[in-house]
Amino acid sequence: MNKIPVWIDTDTGVDDAVALVTASMLEEIEIVGVSAVAGNTSLENAFRNARDVLSLVGRKDVRVFPGADRPLIIEGRTAAYVHGNNGLGGAEIPLSDAPKETGKAWDALYEAAQHYKGELIVCPIGPLTNIAIAIANHPDIVDCIKELNIMGGALIGGNITPCAEFNILCDPQAAEAVFRSGIRINLFGLDVTHKAFLNDDDIDEIISYGNRVSDLFRDSNHLLYEYRAQLHWEGICEHDSCPILYIAHPEWFEGYECGIYVETQGTISFGKTVSDLWTDYKFEDRHCKAFLNVDREKFTERIKEAYRSF
Amino acid sequence: MDNKKKRPVILDGDPGHDDAIAWVLASTIDDFDIKAITTVAGNQTLEKVTYNARRIAALLHLDVQVAKGRNKPLCSDLIIAPNFHGETGLDGPKLPEPHLPLSDLSAIEMMAKVLQESEEKVTIISTGAQTNVAALLLAHPELKEKIEMISTMGGGLRNGNWTSGAEFNILVDPEAAYTVYHSGVPLQMCGLDVTEQALVYPEEFERIRALHNPIAETVAGWFDFFFIHVKSLGWAGATTHDPCAVMSLVHPEIFDIRDYYVDIELSGRYCRGATIADYQGKLGKEPNCRCVVGLDRQKFVDYLVEACSKYEGWEV
Repeated sequence: MNKIPVWIDTDTGVDDAVALVTASMLEEIEIVGVSAVAGNTSLENAFRNARDVLSLVGRKDVRVFPGADRPLIIEGRTAAYVHGNNGLGGAEIPLSDAPKETGKAWDALYEAAQHYKGELIVCPIGPLTNIAIAIANHPDIVDCIKELNIMGGALIGGNITPCAEFNILCDPQAAEAVFRSGIRINLFGLDVTHKAFLNDDDIDEIISYGNRVSDLFRDSNHLLYEYRAQLHWEGICEHDSCPILYIAHPEWFEGYECGIYVETQGTISFGKTVSDLWTDYKFEDRHCKAFLNVDREKFTERIKEAYRSF
Repeated sequence: MDNKKKRPVILDGDPGHDDAIAWVLASTIDDFDIKAITTVAGNQTLEKVTYNARRIAALLHLDVQVAKGRNKPLCSDLIIAPNFHGETGLDGPKLPEPHLPLSDLSAIEMMAKVLQESEEKVTIISTGAQTNVAALLLAHPELKEKIEMISTMGGGLRNGNWTSGAEFNILVDPEAAYTVYHSGVPLQMCGLDVTEQALVYPEEFERIRALHNPIAETVAGWFDFFFIHVKSLGWAGATTHDPCAVMSLVHPEIFDIRDYYVDIELSGRYCRGATIADYQGKLGKEPNCRCVVGLDRQKFVDYLVEACSKYEGWEV
């Protein structure tokens, strides 16, 4: 079976780590490269965490490239309240001894996109800064990428402001550049990712595996676990695993064709992903699919399976 | 017998087919004492909607003068909707000529007079752009306490219609809506969340027409016209927006109503005029709006048909 070439662009945080673990165990896909970006945590942390997590799961062969250390225009923001000071909720794992890449994320991504001749699927699971820079520097990358599976935004509501989600709000101008690029986009916003959660039983089960990877899960998720208790959520959302698992199992996800753009000029709507899914008015250029639902049972089972395999 | 005091009501709108149907409904409600009709530019120009309002008042034998309001939004250019409502703003069935002269008062003077003279608190039903209501609140802040509630059709928490972010009535005058939403006056919002569920299907137009009274036949004719454009947008029934702002006052039990803090986006490339709800209380503000977000469609239609049936034997 030909594996699907996948590039992951991550601000490796806690749920990014889960996505990397899960991605590394999916036989349907081949991780052909990873790039780091500032978001949940600093670029330095994100870069180190991506390398270390891949090393932990036995994939230090996957090359990790450093990307942008700040958004295009606005001040950077991080989310240490859930991802801790090191991005992994304070969890410590062995440092990867893989050689450190010094090439830039956007150049490496462009090379990979050209190499795979239109077959590459890119999963940005952090702010879209690296992708926007790649498009700005290599305009023809638009024709080389098969699709972008983005974790970000929300058609309804938000998680940082009433109508903006963290990844998009971190760098709305970059996001708008990406949505206006014409690249085919599958958007996994809060509408679906809030339904993609591990409940208490799932969490206990993963921790009970007692291997080095499930130990990372246990040690990295405690801040998120406390935060979640304050908000009375049903579980811990695995936002970033949605675009990854979609590649292997599109049938678990329910999405709708629409146009989506990002509000960069609003006051209260700054950073909102604006869709025409339910409006009489339709954008001229509609090249997105917004995902709203997921089969949670199957989704969580596959994540647990990944952790069990260690 | 009349020991229960009636609820004084001001009808402020831009008729418009669905405003007209809202007013047909309002004038059947025994509990309502309609004190004034005021007009505002929106669905069509002020001159056209004012003429329509006077014709509707004649049709319904309403013994109140129509007062003409603002001819344009507070600080933006007027948008009109002839694609929905035709060149007259109320194309379709023939209507009687106005039976009363236009009031000498402006809409805002009229509203202020009603509020000042009323012993009971007054309910304002706003089914157009909120320009008049905003001007009233700005000019007469002392009268805020005389307002029982402002019941509006406008906005949409989930989606817009005229743009991806905004619904027509709010988009026409976002600054007016901002003034109203920040006024502290009790506010109820029937946005697209509920009004796009308030569908009346073509076979139900026939239920209304079959009542065989002049008002019912006129309402059915308005539905026929309004649905031509609505159908072309892909809707299976007529989106019966404005009547929700009336029905939700008298039959709240058939609606799903939730309290949220709602703000109006004034800037934005896509979102100017969007009504943004703080579902999760991120802003830590008290709710400022009763948001009507769903309804029992069948009961809505049944009540609408029942209202039309009350005009049996009506003479035009």
